[in-house]
Amino acid sequence: MKTIEVRKSITAANDALAHELRSQFTRHGILVLNLIASPGAGKTALIEKTIARLGAAVSIKVVEGDPYTHLDSQRVIRAGAQSIQINTEGGCHLDAQMVGRAVDRFDLDQTDLLIIENVGNLLCPAAWDLGQDATVVVASLAEGADKPLKYPEAFTRAQVVVINKIDLEPHLPVTTAELRRNALTVNPELTVFEVSCLHSTGLDSWCQWIRDRIATKK
Amino acid sequence: MHEEPYTQAMLDLALKKSGGKKISEIRLEVGRFSAIVPASVEVFFRHLSAGTPAQGARLVFHSVPVTLTCTVCQKVLTLEIPPDAPVRPALGTALGRGCTCGEKKLKVSGGLGFDLIGLTVA
Ligand SMILES: Nc1nc2c(ncn2[C@@H]2O[C@H](COP(=O)(O)OP(=O)(O)OP(=O)(O)O)[C@@H](O)[C@H]2O)c(=O)[nH]1
Ligand SMILES: [Mg+2]
Ligand SMILES: [Zn+2]
Repeated sequence: MKTIEVRKSITAANDALAHELRSQFTRHGILVLNLIASPGAGKTALIEKTIARLGAAVSIKVVEGDPYTHLDSQRVIRAGAQSIQINTEGGCHLDAQMVGRAVDRFDLDQTDLLIIENVGNLLCPAAWDLGQDATVVVASLAEGADKPLKYPEAFTRAQVVVINKIDLEPHLPVTTAELRRNALTVNPELTVFEVSCLHSTGLDSWCQWIRDRIATKK
Repeated sequence: MHEEPYTQAMLDLALKKSGGKKISEIRLEVGRFSAIVPASVEVFFRHLSAGTPAQGARLVFHSVPVTLTCTVCQKVLTLEIPPDAPVRPALGTALGRGCTCGEKKLKVSGGLGFDLIGLTVA
């Protein structure tokens, strides 16, 4: 009988891989965003709008995570960016190994911005580091204003929240201000953007934030 | 279902650290706010460890409380939540109440993790 001290996070192997990815992205001067949201919040819509606004000046690559389909990467390719689809076969989050295999297929010398759309789920994706510079939660107003309080895991670990579907505010019993307040209660350090991907409102400040962050990577 | 990848990662780490020896016990720390259900880890572990040196190992879970750190005075508040009580309402209340210094801005600083603390090997 012998006892062995370990004292490591269960995700240690993933964290080590993510660390390697982060150095690789940094060497290439790439800004990496990990987009997390519940299903249907508008992650792909936000990526499409970001490509439409920044695509001419910024070289964007997208890794799409989805349990089974290729629908999102097809949308992104139609929007004008290179995209690789990862199917997790029912798995609830992406991990660093999956992302590493996918980005091997991109020309990283020709990339300024890598967006990773995680699997639609607020619970665990944020716990698996993918080598990103920032974790961005997309929170749709239609889901209600209480989601930060009910699913604080993602909001706690994120740096940015994009509140989407603010065009629906007149039809809903919740306000953008309430959702913003609840997100900031759970994590006061969050940077918050309010957008409508449908009406293309609020996207200027989001895109400016991306440009500024890319500049710090060069 | 969502515990499967966590359990696989835990098993991989345990097997790596045990150097091929038969494992009889695995000690784990589970944050109260980690979204990990020990009973579910047990079920996946029985399946995933079959045929490995970790087969039959006893899993010992220790619960780690949620802590909140004040972003202004750095005071750490530990949430004392009874083992069978839900975490989220208590967390919401604590975040709403804020720090004893009067500041409302608190960050979750502990209780999110799932850690392998140690092993007993033959
Ligand atoms: N009203 C409104 N609808 C929107 C907005 N943005 C997206 N939608 C709609 O919301 C639905 C889901 O959008 P997606 O972009 O597919 O959401 P997603 O988060 O990528 O979804 P999954 O990848 O399936 O998890 C679509 O029907 C969009 O048209 C918005 O700003 N306002
Ligand atoms: Mg999508
Ligand atoms: Zn304080």
